[in-house]
Amino acid sequence: MGKIFEFTSVSAGYDDEIVLKDVNFTVWDNDFVGVIGPNGGGKTTLLKLILGEIKPKRGTIKYFKHEPNEVLFGYLPQVIGIDKKFPISVMEVVLSGLLGRKGIMGRYTGHDKRLALNLLQRMEIQHLKDKAIGELSGGQMQRVFLCRALISHPRLLILDEPNTFVDNKFEKELYELLQELNKEMAIIMVSHDLGTITTHVKTIACVNRQLHYHPSNLITTDQLAAYDCPIQIIAHGPVPHTVLHKH
Amino acid sequence: MLHFFSDIFQYQFILNAFLAALLVSIAAGIVGSYIVARRLVFLSGGITHASFGGIGIAYYLGFNPILGAAIFAVITAFGIESLSSKYNVREDSAIGIMWSVGMAIGIFFVFLTPGYAPNLMSFLFGSILTVTKQDVFLLLGLDLAMIIFFILFYYPILYLAFDANYARTQRVPEKVFSYILMAFVTVTIVLSIRLVGIILLISLLTVPPTIANLFTKKFKYLIYSSILIGFVGTITGLMVSHGLNVPSGTTIILALIFMFLIARLIRLIMDKVISIKQLSKN
Repeated sequence: MGKIFEFTSVSAGYDDEIVLKDVNFTVWDNDFVGVIGPNGGGKTTLLKLILGEIKPKRGTIKYFKHEPNEVLFGYLPQVIGIDKKFPISVMEVVLSGLLGRKGIMGRYTGHDKRLALNLLQRMEIQHLKDKAIGELSGGQMQRVFLCRALISHPRLLILDEPNTFVDNKFEKELYELLQELNKEMAIIMVSHDLGTITTHVKTIACVNRQLHYHPSNLITTDQLAAYDCPIQIIAHGPVPHTVLHKH
Repeated sequence: MLHFFSDIFQYQFILNAFLAALLVSIAAGIVGSYIVARRLVFLSGGITHASFGGIGIAYYLGFNPILGAAIFAVITAFGIESLSSKYNVREDSAIGIMWSVGMAIGIFFVFLTPGYAPNLMSFLFGSILTVTKQDVFLLLGLDLAMIIFFILFYYPILYLAFDANYARTQRVPEKVFSYILMAFVTVTIVLSIRLVGIILLISLLTVPPTIANLFTKKFKYLIYSSILIGFVGTITGLMVSHGLNVPSGTTIILALIFMFLIARLIRLIMDKVISIKQLSKN
């Protein structure tokens, strides 16, 4: 058990606008953090900071690698802006998860392909390996992107709204799979769906210009209000006082 | 039409045109696959047409029209980029503006130039008579540079084109790649002008990958087959052009479109056969 990254008083934003203010946030191995918060509250900015796509305006982000070549993150972005007519095969998409490690002149070996095939097998879609990505259904495509995120053996899996555009069956399987993966790696999952998130994650981060870390997966509406985290609560039946204990 | 091949060894200009067709097919196959996959066709069309501005000015001032076209093509590529990113003009509007402004400037200067502009038609519709040895060498250089670049950086190119957001998280320098690839697109366009002409160039880039895409879903094979299809199309076009004395651009594009129709038919038959096979299996 070690730290993966640590934010110390991080502020960030675009141009003159500050989106996130004074964030302290540490993720450890085998954590499972659900990130919730209103749209425009800074969830995406937080992910970009973690992934190193943008730099903080103030404060520091420290990464704790065991060895310099280690891949810290596997990333499952939101499924938007994917061109379904693009000429690329499932296999090629999965292999692109190794791009960061291989570098821009990298070549893929038989070993890499076997890794990809094993993952596809684990997701039960190995028969689709030569299909064009556009021929797949939403759930199958999401599985492929999950394979892409996993192929580099990351210590932290980052999922951005993984349950949009997928069917209920896949969603259920996805959460089972995440529980299993959580034994091997830490997971950060962004979701607008508080109802599902609380039943699967270990801890919750409420992001709305600031980040409030809630060290449990049980959160009450009062606590949400105290965190200034107005989010839509999707829950079964009337909105309970305590949002969804683990069933 | 068949004396095309015997003429190759008799007339230098036909040999030049033949070699140019071969080399243009390679460049156009690579660039075409890239712009089709990335949906940059309209942008490429804008750059192509705007380059006529440079040809017009070169006529007026009396320097090499292809150099003028190159300068204008580069200005257009950067002009569209800065119009849309800095001046908040929507990108397709910016392309449309540069497209017609370039043409307007070109026609303006051509009409100001005293006397008859001899090769004007050839710049619009292509001509095998105008391909020089120098063009062939320039094309050869372009092809070599592009082949090496694509072999070395095939995966980052593919993955950036498919999903730039993700590729960026994999530490691919997106800006550098975009600029280099845009430069290849621009140079390919300019060096193809003599053979197919400005008006018809965009089909040379888009029809071969469109045909190839009927049969393959892999970027690599798309490039290979686009080159082959482009070569068959340009050589057929050149032969007809030589035989009937029609601008080569028109014959090349018509040859390619004819190939597309045949390919579509083959695809249709293949699909039918596959579905019948599946039916009989069940």
